[in-house]
Amino acid sequence: MVSVINTVDTSHEDMIHDAQMDYYGTRLATCSSDRSVKIFDVRNGGQILIADLRGHEGPVWQVAWAHPMYGNILASCSYDRKVIIWKEENGTWEKTYEYTGHDSSVNSVCWAPHDYGLILACGSSDGAISLLSYTGDGQWEVKKISNAHTIGCNAVSWAPAVVPGSLIEQPSGQKPNYIKRFASGGCDNLVKIWKEEDGQWKEEQKLEAHSDWVRDVAWAPSIGLPTSTIASCSQDGRVFIWTCDDASGNSWSPKLLHKFTDVVWHVSWSITANILAVSGGDNKVTLWKESVDGLWACISDVNKGQGGVSAVTEGQQNEQ
Amino acid sequence: MGSGVPRGQWERRSPSLYIAGRAPQALFPAAESKMKLKEIDRTAMQAWSPALQHPIYLATGTSAQQLDATFSTNASLEIFELDLSDPSLDMKSCATFSSSHRYHKLIWGPHSMTTGESVSGVLIAGGENGNIILYDPAKIIAGDTEVIIAQKDKHTGPVRALDVNIFQTNLVASGANESEIYIWDLNNFATPMTPGVKTQPLEDISCIAWNRQVQHILASASPSGRATVWDLRKNEPIIKVSDHNNRMHCSGLAWHPDIATQMVLASEDDRLPVIQMWDLRFASSPLRVLESHTRGILAIAWSMADPELLLSCGKDAKILCSNPNTGEVLYELPTNTQWCFDIQWCPRNPAVLSAASFDGRISVYSIMGGSTDSLRQKQVDQLSSSFGNLDPFGTGQPLPPLQLPQQTASQSVILPLKKPPKWIRRPVGASFSFGGKLVTFENTKAQQQPGIDQQQQQRHHVYVSQVVTEKEFLARSNQLQEAVRSEGFVSYCQKKIDMAQADFEKNVWSFLKVNFEEDSRVKYLELLGYRKEDLRKKITSALNKESLADGELGEAPTESDASVLNEAGEGQATEEQLLGESLKDHNRESEDSVSAKKTFNISVSGDVDGLITQALLTGNFESAVDLCLHDNRMADAIILAIAGGQELLSRTQEKYFAKMQSKITRLITAVVTKNWKEIVQSCDLQNWREALAAVLTYARPEEFAALCDLLGNRLESEGDSLLQTQACLCYICAGNVEKLVACWTKAQDGNNPLSLQDLIEKVVILRKAVQLTQAVDPNAVGALLAEKMSQYANLLAAQGSIAAALTFLPANTNQPNIVLLRDRLCRAQGELPVGQEALKTLYERQPMPKARAGSVAGQMQGPQPPAQQYYQQGDNPPPPGFIMPGAVNPNMPPQQATSSSYNMYSQAGARPAYPQTYQATQQYPFGTGGPAAYQPQQPITAPASASYPNPAPNPTPPYLPSAPSHAMPSPLYPGQPQPSPTSLNPASSFPLPPSGASFQHGRPGPPAPSVAYALPTGPTGPQNGWNDPPALNRAAKKKKVPDNFMPPVPITSPIMNPLADPQAQMQQPPAPAPPVGAPSFQPPHLPAGQPVLQSPYQPAPQPLGPCIVPPAVSKTSTEGAPGAPIGNAIQHVQALPTEKITKKPIPEEHLILKTTFEALIQRCLLSASDPQTKRKLDDANKRLEFLYDKLREQTLSPTIVSGLHSIVKSIETRNYMEGLNIHTHIVSTSNFSETSAFMPVLKVVLTQANKLGV
Repeated sequence: MVSVINTVDTSHEDMIHDAQMDYYGTRLATCSSDRSVKIFDVRNGGQILIADLRGHEGPVWQVAWAHPMYGNILASCSYDRKVIIWKEENGTWEKTYEYTGHDSSVNSVCWAPHDYGLILACGSSDGAISLLSYTGDGQWEVKKISNAHTIGCNAVSWAPAVVPGSLIEQPSGQKPNYIKRFASGGCDNLVKIWKEEDGQWKEEQKLEAHSDWVRDVAWAPSIGLPTSTIASCSQDGRVFIWTCDDASGNSWSPKLLHKFTDVVWHVSWSITANILAVSGGDNKVTLWKESVDGLWACISDVNKGQGGVSAVTEGQQNEQ
Repeated sequence: MGSGVPRGQWERRSPSLYIAGRAPQALFPAAESKMKLKEIDRTAMQAWSPALQHPIYLATGTSAQQLDATFSTNASLEIFELDLSDPSLDMKSCATFSSSHRYHKLIWGPHSMTTGESVSGVLIAGGENGNIILYDPAKIIAGDTEVIIAQKDKHTGPVRALDVNIFQTNLVASGANESEIYIWDLNNFATPMTPGVKTQPLEDISCIAWNRQVQHILASASPSGRATVWDLRKNEPIIKVSDHNNRMHCSGLAWHPDIATQMVLASEDDRLPVIQMWDLRFASSPLRVLESHTRGILAIAWSMADPELLLSCGKDAKILCSNPNTGEVLYELPTNTQWCFDIQWCPRNPAVLSAASFDGRISVYSIMGGSTDSLRQKQVDQLSSSFGNLDPFGTGQPLPPLQLPQQTASQSVILPLKKPPKWIRRPVGASFSFGGKLVTFENTKAQQQPGIDQQQQQRHHVYVSQVVTEKEFLARSNQLQEAVRSEGFVSYCQKKIDMAQADFEKNVWSFLKVNFEEDSRVKYLELLGYRKEDLRKKITSALNKESLADGELGEAPTESDASVLNEAGEGQATEEQLLGESLKDHNRESEDSVSAKKTFNISVSGDVDGLITQALLTGNFESAVDLCLHDNRMADAIILAIAGGQELLSRTQEKYFAKMQSKITRLITAVVTKNWKEIVQSCDLQNWREALAAVLTYARPEEFAALCDLLGNRLESEGDSLLQTQACLCYICAGNVEKLVACWTKAQDGNNPLSLQDLIEKVVILRKAVQLTQAVDPNAVGALLAEKMSQYANLLAAQGSIAAALTFLPANTNQPNIVLLRDRLCRAQGELPVGQEALKTLYERQPMPKARAGSVAGQMQGPQPPAQQYYQQGDNPPPPGFIMPGAVNPNMPPQQATSSSYNMYSQAGARPAYPQTYQATQQYPFGTGGPAAYQPQQPITAPASASYPNPAPNPTPPYLPSAPSHAMPSPLYPGQPQPSPTSLNPASSFPLPPSGASFQHGRPGPPAPSVAYALPTGPTGPQNGWNDPPALNRAAKKKKVPDNFMPPVPITSPIMNPLADPQAQMQQPPAPAPPVGAPSFQPPHLPAGQPVLQSPYQPAPQPLGPCIVPPAVSKTSTEGAPGAPIGNAIQHVQALPTEKITKKPIPEEHLILKTTFEALIQRCLLSASDPQTKRKLDDANKRLEFLYDKLREQTLSPTIVSGLHSIVKSIETRNYMEGLNIHTHIVSTSNFSETSAFMPVLKVVLTQANKLGV
């Protein structure tokens, strides 16, 4: 069910905080408390270090690949309050932009759907969220949402680019009228949904269900259905699946996926949006899938150490 | 929970300092608000709600040690809620309880806590008079007056130290003066325990703390500087910690959160403002001494969330956050100049802390820093608004912009903490990436252990795993790929049929399978429920009844008859059978009939018959037809019109249809006029099967798909949910992949991989079929299909089957999503594409097409598969650009795609690897291929009419009148011989469907039945293309046709003008013979119970022209008039009609015939005992209808009629033998064909009556 096909020894000197594959699943970017960002070519089960990026002065929390239509671009964020955007030019990775507009640790970076252009959302412990838009010629425009989450924003995740209404029949040659949205989670226990209106970012929804820090939010990829789905996980051990069926995006309802005994750090959707990987709850990774009757079931444990997988029995599930 | 944060005994030493007052600068606490979240203007002890509690509350109890500016001695206990979503600095007060006590210590224990949103736990307060009070915070918030759970004043002095055991939350330790330490059990509060004998000398207990790792270990400390560790199991102190430096005045004591043997002590003495870190294993001297404060430390707090964070506040007005494990100061909170006497971490929110200061304020901070500009601004705004904007004092001088103290700006440069707190260091993660890969990493907990330098040893690995969740989906996908690879479509379909759970699924697969078989139209018909086998059985049984009836006469079908039946097709079978019957009858009676035929009575009397006769004799067909029509002799009219030429026939048909009003008129009309659109558009949807069957039988190839589509559309849009799904079948017949996808998608849960697999299986197979049969572009993919295909490919990719995903993507399409997915898949496979430029352009095409995009798209659509153009095969050695992708040479020669990029969509013909057999099959089912076979050609051309011996002479054709009543089913449900591939034309002769908008499914199976119709006499005939003149000799060429095969003739044959332009005729399907004199038709669905109904779909015998009498039959009927034997056959079938038909009354003078015969049969029935006889009689009763009909129509010759009257007379006298004699006479003297329908039956009745003696 889950089998390790590649073990990458990153040679990081401290904790790894994030590991992300690029769009094609051929390159791996990692970041660590050792303040470095590394890029590996991992095709065919190999590992070739492509770049060891130095520039941060604190632990690097997250990395994010931009869509390849813009070239090979990677963003990283760090406890040093900086966001760095790295770009590969002529085979060499270099810093192309550094954003220092936050007053505290920047905890999360996420690229907007490529349809919008090159836009990066950054969530910081200073409670603010920054939106960096590339305007060409090496210039970046910054919009900042102050006090988005009191005492800190931990995660940002963009909604997929879906034009309201029609999914398939797009008038060709016309720029679609996208509604830009993203979700954020913070230390105020809230998941918030932000929507761009007339070039301004406004808080559209405040989703309350968690009783402790929201550690991560993940907006599910669009699979052509009108439903929007967000997963959120929290310090309180709970993972919620939020769904919204109406186009206006106003009525979100939470469903508890599971209550773990420990903090849940990270949630990640599969590309087909039907499996959720949950990291945490005693340092485990578990995979969850929604059954036909709408219940979420753990389909597998991923024991990272051995890379092995153990099937989850009924009993084990009930224990949790 | 809260570690015992002791208060120093500052009161005694410098009381003046503790008169709290508000410093002027406190009005704008901007300097300290950098990290400040909330503030409360109280001089109070504070206790955070336990970690379990949500939302977070902060309880405050009026401090016993300070007086506020009013010197009030009032006391209160208050609870505030920490609402971080409220950006204001105000803490929301939830409850205030006026207390008679002031407090030295306040803690909130989690004892008896319930999870949930309600407030719970126990507030434990240490009072001034040695009292310990337990409060119920829930009751305080509820506003109850009785909020005290219990109260004891066992201590002799102020209770300054309190702590809750974190393992047994019902255990509370308290410390007071005189070395008093008590352990309270909240479940049994009456009598406290002691940890052991009081320490000597007696001293105040300023701090007390339970160990964080071992539940029976307790520590206490006193201002003397000594700390004592108690073991409650031994009930004695186990160790005393003291540095023998009498300057150490313990104001704080805290156990290490993780390491059981370590603890810190803080000193309040200004001369020794230190924090000592002790390890009890080396209790002789402190492990580490933190000397960051410049004056005495008033309180410390060790974070439970991160053991490297220790807060301390002192008389130097500093709040420091240090790492006690290293001694490093991590951060200094910006504060005002007031001292803080109490500091607490919020147990639930690890970044939040609160500090109580002597200026009468409790402040809540975030250790994470962060800008609170908005908060400050808010405060300023509030201030401005209360003073009035800009000119608050009305001085006429607007206030200058408020300059916030510079300190703030400088603060923002400083990191909140030099090291990130543990709680934001994500230790574990898992992220999905393309191709169903899961990237995971871990950081073991051991790494967090301080003092052990193992980070170097630790390997920091990232694991890439393949996640497969849809095993069945993959297995089925593999099967599908295998089927496509091996071309085993038929067996694949069959497997699917065998495995199908639902009937509908079975149907769909059966329909799909037919695409790969010969005679698809025939097989479609079978699938619709018109099985040859079934039909044959029905017919056989119907005929057997007759046989039984005839049994009396010693006639029974022979084995050879049966075998003929088996070999011949449906329609033929019927024909054979009927003819066989007729032959037998004929043989039997031929002798008698010889003389009858010699006489030919031409009536030229003045009645209608006479007039018609006269008209005919003068060759005036038109008038004769008019007369017939006027007299409602439809059959006569049509028969005559045939002889009168095409024009007359058309007109006659028109008039006929205008006159007919029955339900099936439209069907007949459609059959004759070829207007199948009408049927498809207006039929009752419950009859969709029939409509589809009709289309399958008759529709021309070029309209076939459209008609199927039309029917499918109707089913989809108008039908109920059950019918909607059936539309899929229509689309399969039509070969319309796109519609099938749409229809299927509507009915299924598209989200489920297996249901998508269900769809894709069908689509792939159908597309294969369409490719085989039509010259459509196999890569033409509609938007919806493209969507589904990329969805499917995505799903495969998500399961790690990237190569498979590639094979399912249509190759030469410019659908952007497919092109992009292909690119992604190729690269994911490890193939290096050319530079980013192409992709970039592709992406740009989507939202904003650019001129450049066209060329790229064009390339993608080029003759070569994109894979060849753009991507290297994965198994090739990495090019130089492998490591430095930017260096990839765009001009790298394209690599030949290997088997892995084998494509589902490549055209069969384009793949040499494909077995050549495809070429053959490709031709045959294609609409172009089967024209000869399916063309409803009118074979009866000149020869037919030419050999028609004498249309005119016989004014009363014996075999026509009843034909209409059963003619209907025949065109609809003909089982027919298979068209042979050998008769097919090359595909090239068929014009392509006009537009590629929909897949015109070249109907492989031309309506086979038409072959039967197309089987005329001519032994020779050209093998023609569909638009050639009709071939007349199809049957002769058919392999399976037996020698004695008698091709049935379409009912239309005699009707359609034989001389008509063959081309025009070809365009028309065969039409049933219009009935004459039978105004109402049987609806296709007859009510059950009547004999007719037993074989409603029985292929009706056609009123055959003599010309089409097959040789075999002719041999046995040479003596008879050409039409005679066949007419006989028809009369057998005439047993089928029912009384329902509106009939003309029997002329009064002949009514006696009916009543007599019926009465006789009734009498026989009453006497008959064995069921067989009864059945025979019943049957006879019905079959005598033929006689009555003829009486009604007055078509019987006077000789016969008078003979019948004679029989009646003999019956009346019960002289049955005489009746039989008369019967023999009639038969011998009359035209056999005229009497064969009823005379044998009459004989049966008479014989029975004689036998039974009724």
